[in-house]
Amino acid sequence: MVMDPAVAIETQSLNKRFGGVVAAENVNFKVLSGEFRCMIGPNGAGKSTLFAMLCGIESADNGQIFVLGHDVTRMQAFERVKLGVGLTFQTNRAFHGLSVHENLTIPQAAAKLENKEAGQARLEFALDAFELDPNDETKAAELFHNQLQWLEIAMVLTGYPSLILLDEPTAGMASEETLKTAMVLKHLNSTGLTTVVVEHDMAFVKDVAQTVTVLHQGQIFAEGSVADITAHDDVRRVYLGRA
Amino acid sequence: MSTVAGLISGGADIGRTRLFWIGFAVIVLLFLLYPTQTSAFRVSNASFYLLNVPLGLGMALLWGYCGVLSFGHVAYFGIAGYIYGIIAGNMSGNSFGPLAGVAGGLLATGFVAGVFGYFVFYARVQKWIIPILTLVLTLLLETFLGQTAGYQWRVGSVLLGGYNGMTGIPWFQLGGFVFEGYSFYYLVLAVVLACYFGLRMLVNSSFGHVIVAIREDELRTELLGYDIRARQWVVFVLSAVLAGLSGLLYVQWGNYITPSQVGLLQAALPVIWTAVGGTTSLLAVVISTFALNWVTFTLSSQGNQYAMVIIGALLVVTMLFFPRGIVVMLAERLGRLMTRRAAPSQP
Repeated sequence: MVMDPAVAIETQSLNKRFGGVVAAENVNFKVLSGEFRCMIGPNGAGKSTLFAMLCGIESADNGQIFVLGHDVTRMQAFERVKLGVGLTFQTNRAFHGLSVHENLTIPQAAAKLENKEAGQARLEFALDAFELDPNDETKAAELFHNQLQWLEIAMVLTGYPSLILLDEPTAGMASEETLKTAMVLKHLNSTGLTTVVVEHDMAFVKDVAQTVTVLHQGQIFAEGSVADITAHDDVRRVYLGRA
Repeated sequence: MSTVAGLISGGADIGRTRLFWIGFAVIVLLFLLYPTQTSAFRVSNASFYLLNVPLGLGMALLWGYCGVLSFGHVAYFGIAGYIYGIIAGNMSGNSFGPLAGVAGGLLATGFVAGVFGYFVFYARVQKWIIPILTLVLTLLLETFLGQTAGYQWRVGSVLLGGYNGMTGIPWFQLGGFVFEGYSFYYLVLAVVLACYFGLRMLVNSSFGHVIVAIREDELRTELLGYDIRARQWVVFVLSAVLAGLSGLLYVQWGNYITPSQVGLLQAALPVIWTAVGGTTSLLAVVISTFALNWVTFTLSSQGNQYAMVIIGALLVVTMLFFPRGIVVMLAERLGRLMTRRAAPSQP
């Protein structure tokens, strides 16, 4: 199948079970290139599992995954990254035992050089906005929580990706830090970087998202603009907690 | 940081200051002068302590820097030693025999480690299983070699010798020059320095940064675009070849090898040297390997039956009280002391 270049991600009938738990059921998920998509849903809805399948951390039981014009269903995780995919985890996974400088140096050798011009500009913008010094020899373990979150985003940007998947990038942040994160991500997206974010903070979602996907019990429950989703009665019932 | 000097003086090992390098040069000079100040017997013993250093360095690289523990690296020590003995023994009288033995020993080591490592890393075997698999390999090798007594177990004119081992293994020679006694000591010293500086450059290179990243977090590293299996495999083979290098030097030193060299007791030693020195420093492992071999050899040669008990106890003490390694801990304390002395005094 030849994929539409305007589509950054497309999954077809994706299924994943962990024993008796359905993590993904017939998921047909599509993100256009350059889009800023947010994914929301209750805990256990399958958001992180979908990310894990998109990146190759978990393999799908069946179904197909297309990313950046390639069928990646059977690709190893590092091969998907080489196509231009970047991912941050729900739990921060910067290299805590290494310095900020080393954390930002390690991704360089695997950077997608075709994206270098735009990628370098994005990286420099993020480093500047997050006040991260690429020559800082401070151990990552000594950074504050928000700085660690920002460092991991910067590490991903060092690989000059075309698509970033961020799993709860503002978890545990104060409101000013969340606002700064939103500002940076919106700017990066405005330069053409396709951005998909799993997030629980609805204020953040309303601030950044062009489209919102609601997952529930491993299925896509609803999809649409922020206004559509927040007005959706069933979404309000299962996730937003209002009748 | 890409110059040779930059790679050698990078921060991936202890010792970066001018004072450190002056001290390092003085110690190397003392090693160079040692044969002029002592007996041939002591020089031969020092050769033995030094020849184990590549094996220790290989373990430091694999375990300390890449986070993969092998409990059977002496298998590669033994493979290289036996292959050298077979080739050089069969080419006895030919001045290129030992050189062919070295090439054959290292190639065989690389091949076996390459095949074994391929199945381990490309199958993504879990890290905690790898020490068991490597230990099984070396115990299998010991068992096999132990039953090779008898005339039927010969390769060409060389007998494998069962538990009595292979004897009469030729010295190393280049052309007509035979390395024995003092010249062998200098050969071993040169090999140790080359291995140390080569590995120091490696761990300070971008490749070295990535293997440390793999140790820290395999998944994060893979999701930065690195095929971690390939890098783990390369490090595994390289560390096995270093173990093989020690095996070659060992048989050239003693002119014999027995299956006990690949047994359980020997398998534990590189792990102990690395843990006691400090897994995150090449230099610490060089020091601990030399020192612990000296301790073991001295105790054993004086008839002390408890040499290995003492070494084992040292490992337990290290793990309990100095988990980062004794040499690394001492180096860190010395570094802090020097920094305090260099800092301007408070008004």
